[in-house]
Amino acid sequence: MSSPPNRTASSGTSLLGSAFWALTALLFVAVVAMAIWYAPVEKSMGLPQKIFYAHLPVAINTFVAAFVVFVASIGYLWQRQTWWDDLACAAGKVTALFCAIVLLTGMTWARSAWGIWWTWSPRLTFSLALLLLYVVYPMVRSSIESPQRRAVVSAIYGVVAFLDVPLVYLSVKLMPDMHPSSITLEPPMKQTLMAWFVPVTMMLVGLILATYRLNVATRQRNELDQNDPNAQPADSSPPLTSGARMSGGAS
Amino acid sequence: MMPLGQQILLLLGKDLRIEARGRHTVGVVIILGILIMVVLGLGLGAGRPVDGFGASAILWVAYLFGGVLCFERTMAWERHDDALAGLLAAPISRSAIYASKLIANIALMFTLAVVVTPVAIALFRFDLSEAPGSFALVMGLGMVGFASIGTLFAAAVSSSRLQGGLLAMLVFPLCLPVVILSTQVMRHVFEQHESVMGSGLATLAAGDVIYLAASWIVFELVLEP
Repeated sequence: MSSPPNRTASSGTSLLGSAFWALTALLFVAVVAMAIWYAPVEKSMGLPQKIFYAHLPVAINTFVAAFVVFVASIGYLWQRQTWWDDLACAAGKVTALFCAIVLLTGMTWARSAWGIWWTWSPRLTFSLALLLLYVVYPMVRSSIESPQRRAVVSAIYGVVAFLDVPLVYLSVKLMPDMHPSSITLEPPMKQTLMAWFVPVTMMLVGLILATYRLNVATRQRNELDQNDPNAQPADSSPPLTSGARMSGGAS
Repeated sequence: MMPLGQQILLLLGKDLRIEARGRHTVGVVIILGILIMVVLGLGLGAGRPVDGFGASAILWVAYLFGGVLCFERTMAWERHDDALAGLLAAPISRSAIYASKLIANIALMFTLAVVVTPVAIALFRFDLSEAPGSFALVMGLGMVGFASIGTLFAAAVSSSRLQGGLLAMLVFPLCLPVVILSTQVMRHVFEQHESVMGSGLATLAAGDVIYLAASWIVFELVLEP
Protein backbone atom coordinates (compact mmCIF):
# COMPACT_ATOMS: atom_id res chain seq x y z
CA MET A 1 0.00 0.00 0.00
CA SER A 2 1.38 3.44 -0.92
CA SER A 3 2.26 5.80 1.89
CA PRO A 4 0.83 9.37 1.77
CA PRO A 5 4.16 10.99 0.64
CA ASN A 6 4.38 8.40 -2.18
CA ARG A 7 0.86 9.20 -3.27
CA THR A 8 1.69 12.91 -3.33
CA ALA A 9 4.86 12.27 -5.33
CA SER A 10 3.05 10.04 -7.83
CA SER A 11 0.22 12.52 -8.39
CA GLY A 12 2.85 15.26 -8.82
CA THR A 13 4.71 13.21 -11.44
CA SER A 14 1.46 12.37 -13.18
CA LEU A 15 0.52 16.05 -13.31
CA LEU A 16 3.96 16.92 -14.64
CA GLY A 17 3.57 14.22 -17.31
CA SER A 18 0.16 15.53 -18.35
CA ALA A 19 1.51 19.08 -18.54
CA PHE A 20 4.47 17.85 -20.60
CA TRP A 21 2.25 16.07 -23.15
CA ALA A 22 -0.17 18.98 -23.30
CA LEU A 23 2.71 21.36 -24.05
CA THR A 24 4.09 18.98 -26.68
CA ALA A 25 0.68 18.74 -28.37
CA LEU A 26 0.31 22.53 -28.29
CA LEU A 27 3.74 22.98 -29.85
CA PHE A 28 2.84 20.47 -32.56
CA VAL A 29 -0.25 22.49 -33.42
CA ALA A 30 1.91 25.63 -33.57
CA VAL A 31 4.60 24.15 -35.85
CA VAL A 32 1.99 22.60 -38.16
CA ALA A 33 0.42 26.06 -38.46
CA MET A 34 3.88 27.51 -39.18
CA ALA A 35 4.49 24.94 -41.91
CA ILE A 36 1.11 25.67 -43.54
CA TRP A 37 0.83 29.45 -43.27
CA TYR A 38 4.20 30.93 -42.31
CA ALA A 39 6.65 28.97 -44.49
CA PRO A 40 6.29 29.76 -48.22
CA VAL A 41 5.71 27.08 -50.83
CA GLU A 42 9.02 25.95 -52.35
CA LYS A 43 9.14 26.77 -56.09
CA SER A 44 10.59 23.61 -57.64
CA MET A 45 8.92 20.96 -55.40
CA GLY A 46 5.73 22.68 -54.39
CA LEU A 47 3.62 21.55 -51.42
CA PRO A 48 5.34 18.13 -50.92
CA GLN A 49 8.42 20.03 -49.72
CA LYS A 50 6.52 20.78 -46.48
CA ILE A 51 6.93 17.10 -45.48
CA PHE A 52 10.59 17.99 -45.04
CA TYR A 53 9.81 20.02 -41.87
CA ALA A 54 8.65 16.85 -40.10
CA HIS A 55 10.96 14.45 -41.94
CA LEU A 56 14.35 15.94 -41.00
CA PRO A 57 13.73 16.49 -37.23
CA VAL A 58 12.32 12.96 -36.90
CA ALA A 59 15.32 11.57 -38.81
CA ILE A 60 17.81 13.39 -36.58
CA ASN A 61 15.94 12.27 -33.46
CA THR A 62 16.02 8.68 -34.74
CA PHE A 63 19.80 8.84 -34.48
CA VAL A 64 19.49 10.31 -30.98
CA ALA A 65 17.24 7.41 -29.94
CA ALA A 66 19.64 4.89 -31.51
CA PHE A 67 22.47 6.55 -29.60
CA VAL A 68 20.50 6.15 -26.35
CA VAL A 69 20.15 2.42 -27.15
CA PHE A 70 23.91 2.28 -27.73
CA VAL A 71 24.83 4.09 -24.49
CA ALA A 72 22.29 2.13 -22.41
CA SER A 73 23.55 -1.16 -23.92
CA ILE A 74 27.14 -0.32 -23.04
CA GLY A 75 25.92 0.76 -19.59
CA TYR A 76 24.26 -2.61 -19.07
CA LEU A 77 27.27 -4.60 -20.27
CA TRP A 78 29.47 -2.55 -17.98
CA GLN A 79 27.38 -2.34 -14.80
CA ARG A 80 24.81 -5.13 -15.22
CA GLN A 81 22.05 -3.02 -13.72
CA THR A 82 18.60 -3.81 -15.06
CA TRP A 83 17.51 -0.19 -15.44
CA TRP A 84 20.05 0.20 -18.25
CA ASP A 85 18.35 -2.70 -20.01
CA ASP A 86 14.91 -1.15 -19.45
CA LEU A 87 16.17 2.14 -20.89
CA ALA A 88 17.75 0.43 -23.93
CA CYS A 89 14.52 -1.48 -24.54
CA ALA A 90 12.46 1.74 -24.35
CA ALA A 91 14.81 3.64 -26.65
CA GLY A 92 14.90 0.69 -29.09
CA LYS A 93 11.12 0.71 -29.47
CA VAL A 94 11.09 4.48 -29.98
CA THR A 95 13.91 4.21 -32.55
CA ALA A 96 11.85 1.71 -34.54
CA LEU A 97 8.78 3.99 -34.35
CA PHE A 98 10.75 7.05 -35.47
CA CYS A 99 12.41 5.05 -38.27
CA ALA A 100 8.96 4.06 -39.49
CA ILE A 101 7.87 7.72 -39.49
CA VAL A 102 11.02 8.73 -41.41
CA LEU A 103 10.39 5.99 -43.96
CA LEU A 104 6.70 6.86 -44.35
CA THR A 105 7.37 10.59 -44.78
CA GLY A 106 10.20 9.75 -47.22
CA MET A 107 7.90 7.49 -49.23
CA THR A 108 5.17 10.14 -49.26
CA TRP A 109 7.72 12.63 -50.57
CA ALA A 110 8.83 10.13 -53.25
CA ARG A 111 5.22 9.60 -54.32
CA SER A 112 4.56 13.34 -54.53
CA ALA A 113 7.85 14.30 -56.17
CA TRP A 114 8.48 11.36 -58.52
CA GLY A 115 5.11 9.59 -58.76
CA ILE A 116 6.40 6.37 -57.16
CA TRP A 117 6.13 5.08 -53.61
CA TRP A 118 9.51 3.42 -53.62
CA THR A 119 12.85 3.73 -55.35
CA TRP A 120 16.16 2.19 -54.30
CA SER A 121 17.65 5.60 -53.70
CA PRO A 122 20.37 5.78 -51.02
CA ARG A 123 18.31 7.73 -48.52
CA LEU A 124 15.18 5.61 -48.74
CA THR A 125 17.28 2.44 -48.62
CA PHE A 126 19.16 3.81 -45.60
CA SER A 127 15.86 4.46 -43.78
CA LEU A 128 14.63 0.97 -44.63
CA ALA A 129 17.86 -0.65 -43.41
CA LEU A 130 17.70 1.37 -40.20
CA LEU A 131 14.07 0.35 -39.67
CA LEU A 132 14.95 -3.32 -40.16
CA LEU A 133 17.86 -3.03 -37.71
CA TYR A 134 15.68 -1.61 -34.94
CA VAL A 135 12.41 -3.43 -35.65
CA VAL A 136 14.31 -6.65 -34.96
CA TYR A 137 15.46 -5.37 -31.56
CA PRO A 138 12.17 -5.81 -29.61
CA MET A 139 11.47 -9.06 -31.49
CA VAL A 140 14.79 -10.48 -30.34
CA ARG A 141 13.98 -9.52 -26.79
CA SER A 142 10.67 -11.34 -26.81
CA SER A 143 12.31 -14.47 -28.25
CA ILE A 144 14.66 -15.04 -25.31
CA GLU A 145 13.11 -16.32 -22.09
CA SER A 146 15.88 -15.83 -19.55
CA PRO A 147 15.90 -12.16 -18.43
CA GLN A 148 19.68 -12.08 -17.95
CA ARG A 149 20.38 -13.74 -21.29
CA ARG A 150 17.85 -11.45 -22.99
CA ALA A 151 19.51 -8.38 -21.52
CA VAL A 152 23.02 -9.48 -22.59
CA VAL A 153 22.04 -10.47 -26.15
CA SER A 154 19.97 -7.29 -26.57
CA ALA A 155 22.80 -5.12 -25.26
CA ILE A 156 25.27 -6.70 -27.68
CA TYR A 157 22.78 -6.26 -30.52
CA GLY A 158 22.24 -2.61 -29.50
CA VAL A 159 25.98 -1.93 -29.63
CA VAL A 160 26.60 -3.72 -32.95
CA ALA A 161 23.48 -2.19 -34.56
CA PHE A 162 24.67 1.32 -33.73
CA LEU A 163 28.15 0.55 -35.11
CA ASP A 164 26.36 -0.70 -38.23
CA VAL A 165 24.61 2.63 -38.88
CA PRO A 166 27.63 4.48 -40.43
CA LEU A 167 28.38 1.39 -42.52
CA VAL A 168 24.83 1.31 -43.85
CA TYR A 169 25.14 5.01 -44.66
CA LEU A 170 28.42 4.54 -46.51
CA SER A 171 27.14 1.49 -48.36
CA VAL A 172 23.95 3.12 -49.67
CA LYS A 173 25.97 6.11 -50.92
CA LEU A 174 27.23 3.80 -53.68
CA MET A 175 23.70 3.41 -55.01
CA PRO A 176 22.43 5.62 -57.83
CA ASP A 177 20.59 8.66 -56.44
CA MET A 178 17.68 10.72 -57.73
CA HIS A 179 17.30 12.84 -54.58
CA PRO A 180 18.03 16.57 -54.77
CA SER A 181 21.55 17.04 -53.37
CA SER A 182 20.63 20.23 -51.52
CA ILE A 183 17.60 22.42 -50.91
CA THR A 184 17.87 26.19 -50.61
CA LEU A 185 15.73 27.36 -47.70
CA GLU A 186 14.45 30.88 -47.27
CA PRO A 187 14.60 32.35 -43.71
CA PRO A 188 10.93 31.53 -42.86
CA MET A 189 11.55 27.95 -44.03
CA LYS A 190 14.66 27.67 -41.84
CA GLN A 191 12.77 29.06 -38.83
CA THR A 192 9.93 26.60 -39.39
CA LEU A 193 12.39 23.72 -39.65
CA MET A 194 14.16 24.77 -36.44
CA ALA A 195 10.79 25.13 -34.68
CA TRP A 196 9.83 21.56 -35.64
CA PHE A 197 12.85 20.22 -33.76
CA VAL A 198 11.38 21.32 -30.40
CA PRO A 199 8.13 19.26 -30.25
CA VAL A 200 9.71 16.30 -32.06
CA THR A 201 12.56 16.17 -29.53
CA MET A 202 10.04 16.55 -26.69
CA MET A 203 8.05 13.67 -28.13
CA LEU A 204 11.20 11.54 -28.27
CA VAL A 205 12.08 12.25 -24.65
CA GLY A 206 8.48 11.72 -23.51
CA LEU A 207 8.07 8.45 -25.35
CA ILE A 208 11.38 7.05 -24.09
CA LEU A 209 10.52 8.00 -20.49
CA ALA A 210 6.96 6.66 -20.71
CA THR A 211 8.12 3.37 -22.27
CA TYR A 212 10.94 3.10 -19.74
CA ARG A 213 8.53 3.49 -16.83
CA LEU A 214 6.20 0.95 -18.36
CA ASN A 215 9.12 -1.50 -18.77
CA VAL A 216 10.16 -1.03 -15.15
CA ALA A 217 6.58 -1.52 -13.94
CA THR A 218 6.16 -4.67 -16.08
CA ARG A 219 9.43 -6.14 -14.84
CA GLN A 220 8.59 -5.39 -11.21
CA ARG A 221 5.18 -7.01 -11.63
CA ASN A 222 6.76 -10.09 -13.23
CA GLU A 223 9.27 -10.34 -10.40
CA LEU A 224 6.50 -10.07 -7.86
CA ASP A 225 4.51 -12.78 -9.67
CA GLN A 226 7.49 -15.12 -9.64
CA ASN A 227 8.60 -14.49 -6.06
CA ASP A 228 6.85 -14.49 -2.74
CA PRO A 229 3.92 -12.03 -2.95
CA ASN A 230 5.09 -10.41 0.32
CA ALA A 231 8.69 -9.97 -0.87
CA GLN A 232 9.99 -6.64 -2.16
CA PRO A 233 11.28 -6.78 -5.76
CA ALA A 234 15.08 -7.00 -5.96
CA ASP A 235 15.65 -4.12 -8.28
CA SER A 236 18.49 -1.76 -8.94
CA SER A 237 16.37 0.69 -10.90
CA PRO A 238 15.05 3.96 -9.54
CA PRO A 239 11.90 3.48 -7.43
CA LEU A 240 8.58 3.56 -9.26
CA THR A 241 5.31 4.27 -7.56
CA SER A 242 2.08 2.87 -8.88
CA GLY A 243 0.84 6.13 -10.32
CA ALA A 244 4.21 7.57 -11.30
CA ARG A 245 4.09 7.19 -15.02
CA MET A 246 3.81 9.63 -17.83
CA SER A 247 0.24 10.02 -18.83
CA GLY A 248 -0.91 8.56 -22.12
CA GLY A 249 0.58 5.04 -21.90
CA ALA A 250 2.77 5.82 -24.83
CA SER A 251 4.40 2.44 -25.31
CA MET B 1 48.53 -21.41 -20.51
CA MET B 2 49.58 -22.22 -24.08
CA PRO B 3 49.98 -19.40 -26.65
CA LEU B 4 46.82 -18.01 -28.25
CA GLY B 5 47.75 -19.24 -31.73
CA GLN B 6 48.21 -22.77 -30.47
CA GLN B 7 44.86 -22.64 -28.66
CA ILE B 8 43.13 -21.49 -31.84
CA LEU B 9 44.76 -24.25 -33.91
CA LEU B 10 43.82 -26.86 -31.32
CA LEU B 11 40.16 -25.83 -31.23
CA LEU B 12 39.97 -25.37 -34.99
CA GLY B 13 41.47 -28.84 -35.51
CA LYS B 14 38.82 -30.29 -33.19
CA ASP B 15 35.96 -28.57 -35.05
CA LEU B 16 37.24 -29.51 -38.49
CA ARG B 17 37.85 -33.12 -37.39
CA ILE B 18 34.26 -33.35 -36.16
CA GLU B 19 33.05 -32.02 -39.52
CA ALA B 20 35.41 -34.23 -41.53
CA ARG B 21 34.19 -37.35 -39.72
CA GLY B 22 30.48 -36.61 -40.14
CA ARG B 23 30.33 -34.10 -43.02
CA HIS B 24 26.87 -33.20 -41.72
CA THR B 25 27.16 -29.43 -42.05
CA VAL B 26 28.91 -29.27 -45.44
CA GLY B 27 26.47 -31.74 -46.97
CA VAL B 28 23.37 -29.95 -45.71
CA VAL B 29 24.67 -26.48 -46.57
CA ILE B 30 25.68 -27.43 -50.12
CA ILE B 31 22.34 -29.09 -50.84
CA LEU B 32 20.54 -26.04 -49.43
CA GLY B 33 22.66 -23.74 -51.61
CA ILE B 34 21.91 -25.73 -54.77
CA LEU B 35 18.20 -25.84 -53.92
CA ILE B 36 18.16 -22.07 -53.51
CA MET B 37 19.87 -21.69 -56.90
CA VAL B 38 17.28 -23.92 -58.57
CA VAL B 39 14.35 -22.09 -56.97
CA LEU B 40 15.80 -18.69 -57.94
CA GLY B 41 16.51 -19.95 -61.45
CA LEU B 42 12.92 -21.04 -61.91
CA GLY B 43 11.59 -17.88 -60.29
CA LEU B 44 13.72 -15.47 -62.31
CA GLY B 45 12.97 -17.15 -65.62
CA ALA B 46 15.21 -19.97 -66.84
CA GLY B 47 17.68 -19.40 -69.67
CA ARG B 48 18.37 -15.70 -69.18
CA PRO B 49 22.10 -14.88 -68.84
CA VAL B 50 23.12 -12.87 -65.76
CA ASP B 51 26.14 -10.57 -65.37
CA GLY B 52 28.44 -10.26 -62.34
CA PHE B 53 26.17 -7.72 -60.64
CA GLY B 54 23.21 -10.08 -60.74
CA ALA B 55 25.47 -13.01 -59.88
CA SER B 56 26.58 -11.48 -56.59
CA ALA B 57 22.96 -10.79 -55.61
CA ILE B 58 21.83 -14.34 -56.44
CA LEU B 59 24.81 -15.94 -54.73
CA TRP B 60 24.33 -13.83 -51.61
CA VAL B 61 20.92 -15.44 -51.07
CA ALA B 62 22.57 -18.87 -50.98
CA TYR B 63 25.49 -17.66 -48.86
CA LEU B 64 23.25 -15.94 -46.31
CA PHE B 65 20.99 -18.93 -45.69
CA GLY B 66 23.86 -21.43 -45.92
CA GLY B 67 25.94 -19.26 -43.61
CA VAL B 68 23.30 -19.13 -40.89
CA LEU B 69 23.13 -22.92 -41.00
CA CYS B 70 26.95 -23.12 -40.67
CA PHE B 71 27.00 -20.77 -37.67
CA GLU B 72 24.27 -22.69 -35.95
CA ARG B 73 25.88 -26.10 -36.54
CA THR B 74 29.37 -25.11 -35.38
CA MET B 75 27.91 -23.93 -32.06
CA ALA B 76 25.65 -26.99 -31.87
CA TRP B 77 28.78 -29.17 -31.60
CA GLU B 78 29.49 -27.48 -28.27
CA ARG B 79 25.94 -27.91 -26.97
CA HIS B 80 26.01 -31.70 -27.28
CA ASP B 81 26.69 -33.31 -23.91
CA ASP B 82 27.31 -29.85 -22.47
CA ALA B 83 30.72 -29.67 -24.17
CA LEU B 84 30.65 -25.88 -23.90
CA ALA B 85 30.84 -26.08 -20.09
CA GLY B 86 33.97 -28.23 -20.41
CA LEU B 87 35.44 -25.84 -22.94
CA LEU B 88 34.81 -22.86 -20.66
CA ALA B 89 36.32 -24.69 -17.69
CA ALA B 90 39.49 -25.49 -19.67
CA PRO B 91 42.42 -23.02 -19.54
CA ILE B 92 41.50 -21.60 -22.94
CA SER B 93 41.00 -17.95 -23.82
CA ARG B 94 37.50 -16.90 -24.95
CA SER B 95 39.16 -15.10 -27.84
CA ALA B 96 40.62 -18.43 -28.99
CA ILE B 97 37.13 -19.95 -28.94
CA TYR B 98 35.80 -17.07 -31.05
CA ALA B 99 38.69 -17.17 -33.51
CA SER B 100 38.47 -20.94 -33.98
CA LYS B 101 34.70 -20.86 -34.52
CA LEU B 102 35.08 -17.95 -36.93
CA ILE B 103 37.76 -19.70 -39.00
CA ALA B 104 35.68 -22.92 -39.03
CA ASN B 105 32.65 -20.96 -40.24
CA ILE B 106 34.65 -19.16 -42.94
CA ALA B 107 36.09 -22.51 -44.07
CA LEU B 108 32.59 -24.00 -44.29
CA MET B 109 31.25 -20.96 -46.17
CA PHE B 110 34.16 -21.04 -48.62
CA THR B 111 33.45 -24.75 -49.22
CA LEU B 112 29.83 -23.81 -49.91
CA ALA B 113 30.99 -21.08 -52.30
CA VAL B 114 33.42 -23.41 -54.11
CA VAL B 115 30.56 -25.81 -54.92
CA VAL B 116 27.61 -23.45 -55.33
CA THR B 117 29.32 -20.77 -57.46
CA PRO B 118 30.17 -23.12 -60.37
CA VAL B 119 26.64 -24.54 -60.17
CA ALA B 120 25.26 -21.01 -60.37
CA ILE B 121 27.59 -20.17 -63.27
CA ALA B 122 26.24 -23.20 -65.14
CA LEU B 123 22.58 -22.53 -64.32
CA PHE B 124 22.54 -18.76 -64.85
CA ARG B 125 25.36 -18.46 -67.41
CA PHE B 126 27.09 -15.84 -65.24
CA ASP B 127 29.62 -13.86 -67.24
CA LEU B 128 32.40 -13.22 -64.73
CA SER B 129 35.17 -13.20 -67.36
CA GLU B 130 35.59 -9.42 -67.11
CA ALA B 131 36.82 -9.46 -63.51
CA PRO B 132 36.85 -12.92 -61.87
CA GLY B 133 39.49 -11.87 -59.32
CA SER B 134 37.50 -8.82 -58.24
CA PHE B 135 34.38 -10.98 -57.89
CA ALA B 136 36.21 -13.48 -55.66
CA LEU B 137 37.83 -10.70 -53.59
CA VAL B 138 34.57 -8.83 -52.95
CA MET B 139 32.55 -11.94 -52.15
CA GLY B 140 35.37 -13.23 -49.91
CA LEU B 141 35.52 -9.98 -47.94
CA GLY B 142 31.73 -9.98 -47.64
CA MET B 143 31.76 -13.53 -46.28
CA VAL B 144 34.38 -12.67 -43.65
CA GLY B 145 32.21 -9.78 -42.37
CA PHE B 146 29.09 -11.92 -42.39
CA ALA B 147 30.84 -14.80 -40.61
CA SER B 148 32.29 -12.52 -37.91
CA ILE B 149 28.84 -11.26 -36.88
CA GLY B 150 27.21 -14.67 -37.39
CA THR B 151 29.74 -16.41 -35.14
CA LEU B 152 29.14 -13.89 -32.37
CA PHE B 153 25.36 -14.16 -32.40
CA ALA B 154 25.36 -17.95 -32.89
CA ALA B 155 27.09 -18.14 -29.52
CA ALA B 156 24.69 -15.57 -28.06
CA VAL B 157 21.51 -17.42 -29.02
CA SER B 158 22.85 -20.97 -28.69
CA SER B 159 20.78 -21.53 -25.55
CA SER B 160 17.62 -19.97 -26.96
CA ARG B 161 14.66 -22.08 -27.98
CA LEU B 162 14.35 -20.33 -31.35
CA GLN B 163 18.01 -20.62 -32.46
CA GLY B 164 17.85 -20.85 -36.27
CA GLY B 165 15.04 -18.38 -36.86
CA LEU B 166 16.29 -16.00 -34.21
CA LEU B 167 19.86 -16.15 -35.53
CA ALA B 168 18.73 -15.27 -39.07
CA MET B 169 16.60 -12.42 -37.70
CA LEU B 170 19.59 -11.05 -35.76
CA VAL B 171 22.27 -11.47 -38.40
CA PHE B 172 20.50 -10.50 -41.63
CA PRO B 173 19.78 -6.84 -40.74
CA LEU B 174 23.25 -6.38 -39.28
CA CYS B 175 24.82 -7.74 -42.47
CA LEU B 176 22.85 -5.50 -44.82
CA PRO B 177 25.86 -3.17 -45.38
CA VAL B 178 27.97 -6.14 -46.43
CA VAL B 179 25.36 -7.27 -48.97
CA ILE B 180 24.71 -3.73 -50.25
CA LEU B 181 28.42 -2.97 -50.53
CA SER B 182 29.35 -6.15 -52.36
CA THR B 183 26.46 -5.89 -54.84
CA GLN B 184 27.15 -2.19 -55.46
CA VAL B 185 30.89 -2.75 -55.93
CA MET B 186 30.01 -5.48 -58.43
CA ARG B 187 27.67 -3.05 -60.20
CA HIS B 188 30.51 -0.54 -60.51
CA VAL B 189 32.88 -3.24 -61.82
CA PHE B 190 30.58 -5.11 -64.22
CA GLU B 191 28.14 -2.39 -65.38
CA GLN B 192 30.25 0.74 -65.25
CA HIS B 193 33.57 -1.04 -65.90
CA GLU B 194 35.35 0.70 -63.02
CA SER B 195 38.30 -0.63 -61.02
CA VAL B 196 37.43 -2.67 -57.94
CA MET B 197 40.00 -0.73 -55.90
CA GLY B 198 37.51 2.11 -55.29
CA SER B 199 35.93 3.44 -52.13
CA GLY B 200 33.41 0.61 -52.00
CA LEU B 201 36.08 -2.02 -51.45
CA ALA B 202 37.77 0.09 -48.78
CA THR B 203 34.42 0.49 -46.97
CA LEU B 204 33.80 -3.25 -47.19
CA ALA B 205 37.23 -3.94 -45.69
CA ALA B 206 36.61 -1.32 -42.99
CA GLY B 207 33.28 -2.99 -42.22
CA ASP B 208 35.06 -6.33 -41.79
CA VAL B 209 37.52 -4.73 -39.37
CA ILE B 210 34.67 -3.13 -37.34
CA TYR B 211 32.68 -6.38 -37.21
CA LEU B 212 35.74 -8.43 -36.25
CA ALA B 213 36.89 -5.99 -33.56
CA ALA B 214 33.42 -5.56 -32.03
CA SER B 215 32.74 -9.31 -32.06
CA TRP B 216 36.16 -10.11 -30.61
CA ILE B 217 35.62 -7.63 -27.75
CA VAL B 218 32.10 -8.73 -26.75
CA PHE B 219 32.40 -12.47 -27.39
CA GLU B 220 33.53 -13.07 -23.83
CA LEU B 221 30.25 -11.61 -22.57
CA VAL B 222 28.00 -13.86 -24.67
CA LEU B 223 29.63 -17.00 -23.29
CA GLU B 224 28.74 -16.14 -19.73
CA PRO B 225 26.25 -18.59 -18.22
